[in-house]
Amino acid sequence: MIRSRFAMFVVAMAMVFAVAPRLTRAQSSPPPSTPPPNTHPGRAVHVLGFADAPKNLKGTLTVDGSLLKLQPKDKTQHEQEVPIASIDDVLTGKDSVRAIGGTLGTISMLGPYGSGRFLSLFRKKTSTLTVEYHDASGALHGAIFSLDEGQSEPLKKQLVAAGAKTSVPIEDTPPADAKPAPGGAR
Amino acid sequence: MSFRTSNVRMTILSLAALVLLSLAAIATPAQDQKPPSLHLTGHAILVKKIVSSEVALPAAFQYAIFEYTLQELKKSGRFQTVYREGDNAAASAPDMLTLETDATGFKEGSARKRQVTTVAGATTIKVHIKLIDKDGKVVLEQDVQGKVRFFGENLRATYALAKSIDKVVKYNFVAPKPAKS
Repeated sequence: MIRSRFAMFVVAMAMVFAVAPRLTRAQSSPPPSTPPPNTHPGRAVHVLGFADAPKNLKGTLTVDGSLLKLQPKDKTQHEQEVPIASIDDVLTGKDSVRAIGGTLGTISMLGPYGSGRFLSLFRKKTSTLTVEYHDASGALHGAIFSLDEGQSEPLKKQLVAAGAKTSVPIEDTPPADAKPAPGGAR
Repeated sequence: MSFRTSNVRMTILSLAALVLLSLAAIATPAQDQKPPSLHLTGHAILVKKIVSSEVALPAAFQYAIFEYTLQELKKSGRFQTVYREGDNAAASAPDMLTLETDATGFKEGSARKRQVTTVAGATTIKVHIKLIDKDGKVVLEQDVQGKVRFFGENLRATYALAKSIDKVVKYNFVAPKPAKS
């Protein structure tokens, strides 16, 4: 009995130590006024609504001339694009996701001694980009992307510069003490 | 079979019966309160963009509700065609209804709290839906709620809400009869 409990404790500790380096990276983010360096510009997860792209498609979101393109990480998937001229609104927001997500995150929920719940405490800040556009028949579409923290604003600037419309004007870098409304669109 | 084994089996059966009776008692009042189905028919539906006149609903939530509602209505099979707002083809559609959704309540919870405590941190979205016919008459009006309690991120509440909207539509509409050839 004692031996099996000890084994479970060792498993729990091993899970925590295995993910510790990732958690440290997720937690050691710089202050909110200075977004992290753009190591993967445009790296995005398609939440829903962009052309025919499947949900949760990972890829790179780029402004290419007069098109907004989503190039999938998985090369078997097709590239998706929308003309920037058809974009009626671009909005940004803030969100967060579990630092340990996906299948590993789900499996970790079954960890002994509440280790799964302990891992849930660690979350990674993200930003959202919401794009309202219309197709050739005038039908309205709403596409949502999840990007790394601080990456949605530069992309919005690029889109607006390329001719996309927005209902919320782009602001320059806010002062260090400015606190945006939680979950609110900017 | 020993006396002890049969005794244990009887206790388990009694407990199961008790649980079933309790569940039935909880479920019965809800069924009584539910209004009767309207048995409406409509061949086409136009889904309008979600407005939030009373609460500040983040943009991502507004568009997620819109997209998920379209997806669920298409799956429901209650309408032959589901149009998006602004679709030019909708103008010529006969027997078309318009779905208007107004967000009336929004409580952004915390995914972290949900996953750690299970009971706290729920995200709730409340909307008021209206189905309007071509003459401007409201054929169906109801408050609907979407919630995410344990699994999933906050945006999952929008999917729960779309499912609830679809449930209301499914309950009140009958599938259109196929056209005679």
